[in-house]
Amino acid sequence: MEIDHQASTVLRGTGISNGRNAGPLKFFQRAGVKASYTQTASDAAREWSRLEQACKESAERISALYQQALRTVGKEEAEIFAIHGMLIEDEDFLDALKEAVKDGKSAELALEEAVSRFSKMLEELNDPYLSARAADLRDVAAHIRRTLAGEEAINTHSSREPFLLVADDLSPSETVMLEKSMILGFVTFGGTPNSHTAILARAMGIPALVGVGEIDAIHDGAYALLDAADGTLTLYPTAEEQALFAQKQRRDDRIAQEHDRYLRGLMNKPAVTRSGHRVLIYANIGDTDEVRAALANGADGIGLLRSEFLYLGTTDYPSEERLFTAYREIAEAMEGRRAVIRTLDIGADKRIPYFGLPEEENPALGFRAIRICLSREGLFKTQLRAILRASAFGSLSLMLPMIVSLDEVRQSKRLLEECKEELLREGQTFDPELELGIMIETPAAAIMSRELAKEVSFFSVGTNDLTQYTLAADRQNPSLARLCDENREPVLRLIKMAADAIHESGGWIGICGEMAADLHLTQAFADMRIDELSVSVPYLLGLRGKVTECR
Amino acid sequence: MKQFSYCIQDKNGMHARPAGALANCAKRYTSSIKVSANGKSADAKRLLSLMSLGAVYGSELTFCIEGEDEALAAETLRAFCQNGFQPVSSSDKE
Repeated sequence: MEIDHQASTVLRGTGISNGRNAGPLKFFQRAGVKASYTQTASDAAREWSRLEQACKESAERISALYQQALRTVGKEEAEIFAIHGMLIEDEDFLDALKEAVKDGKSAELALEEAVSRFSKMLEELNDPYLSARAADLRDVAAHIRRTLAGEEAINTHSSREPFLLVADDLSPSETVMLEKSMILGFVTFGGTPNSHTAILARAMGIPALVGVGEIDAIHDGAYALLDAADGTLTLYPTAEEQALFAQKQRRDDRIAQEHDRYLRGLMNKPAVTRSGHRVLIYANIGDTDEVRAALANGADGIGLLRSEFLYLGTTDYPSEERLFTAYREIAEAMEGRRAVIRTLDIGADKRIPYFGLPEEENPALGFRAIRICLSREGLFKTQLRAILRASAFGSLSLMLPMIVSLDEVRQSKRLLEECKEELLREGQTFDPELELGIMIETPAAAIMSRELAKEVSFFSVGTNDLTQYTLAADRQNPSLARLCDENREPVLRLIKMAADAIHESGGWIGICGEMAADLHLTQAFADMRIDELSVSVPYLLGLRGKVTECR
Repeated sequence: MKQFSYCIQDKNGMHARPAGALANCAKRYTSSIKVSANGKSADAKRLLSLMSLGAVYGSELTFCIEGEDEALAAETLRAFCQNGFQPVSSSDKE
């Protein structure tokens, strides 16, 4: 596009993350790699060892980038560098390199050929996402090429003044290696909303505009307005345009500040409805790392710790010591707040190979959770002992999953007593008052809640399973999703039944299934005097806000 | 030899992340693990090979596993597929 100097020009592209920023354009300079190299080599062994060494060094660089991305953009977005690390070690790729040097080609030519062969293969796939991975392969190749040429890492673009970075496109490595503090925004000629530049920009919260088409480098330094919300880049803006833009920016700031203040204000305030009913806002977590995130989002406690994580990713049963260490760590991190540990809930869809469980026709109605634990007392008691020992270090509660009968609760209590006696004899400390509760996730448990309530201190409703078992409908089946969404009343009545029963016997009730996070139901739960709602971390603050708005 | 099929449920198909996770999962076993789809066959332990299948939403993947630990590998991989191409973890729903 022809751009007239001084005259305001608006370029359009796809905006990424909704920010706005104004500043001078700065064109990205790639550190050049020597374009010429020898194509043939007489010593194949030497070429191969050069390539091996270059791949090794590049793999180290990629791993450093992964660590850097982990810190700046988080695990999910950093994952692309883990993929790069796998690409550089891919045996098909390495085989292609090896073959080429054997044929007398130089390391450089071998690299170019292998990269072009595999990127062509990816580009020819009939899938835009996979085709876009060709760019990742080229990014990996760029590391190897630079290492072969003995060059340092790419340009980090130092500048004393913040700028809008302009590039044809940026590779993930280039994006992560940029000095973020000076970057007001990204503008790329090509790229799509799915390109990694876009994904990373979004994760870093930097406004970006992709696919604007080529801009002549003659405009380097030109003042411009980047409006990612509107998807525009205005070069040489008029005074009027600048004033309007500044006004929009001030409005954005105000909205962001207000939202921030609102959420921060909620953080440390108890969630109380307008009629004075306090609801504890707890977090559902799946491993120890999530405790910190839960606390940072104002969780009053942990309503559901899925204890399966300690049994997964290993090839054998975890020891009591290993379980104890993990539970203790959680108990201590919670600093006196309650943490409810649900005992092992495997079987059904969550299988663990070393348990050696037979395949089942109908796993949701099969041998799972408490049913397995009660038939394998050794396994169950190891977990109970670990939880008891950890209870000396904080405020833990124990919760049994998939209960359908009084007998299951009594058997579990008998095993718990046995564990307590053993620990006493061994001189181990534990909380003698350790609170015991059960999950209400079967219609049987809800129907028997009056009797069950006399045996335990609390109930926690697993609404996903309760819905599935009440409506005889698999929630994962897309053709039944509507059936489940439209028939909440029977589930809500069962919850009410359980809530009334446990309140009558002086206990408390929480909800830890997906329904807990459904803000359309918060009022209904407040009306039932539900004491606690447990949701995954991202929903904590929103739910806290919703409770304060309830009657 | 163990064999099973799985129809891809993820609307993104088998993109880089799931393919990488699958390769990592397959690498833990000594058995030879072949995956075929769309008339092409790939080595499940190799990322580029898996990506070259171009398996998309609805593609049927057929796993052929042969070797000493084939039973365990088949069971783990089947669970991996059914879990939406993620290592079977605690991300369950109550």
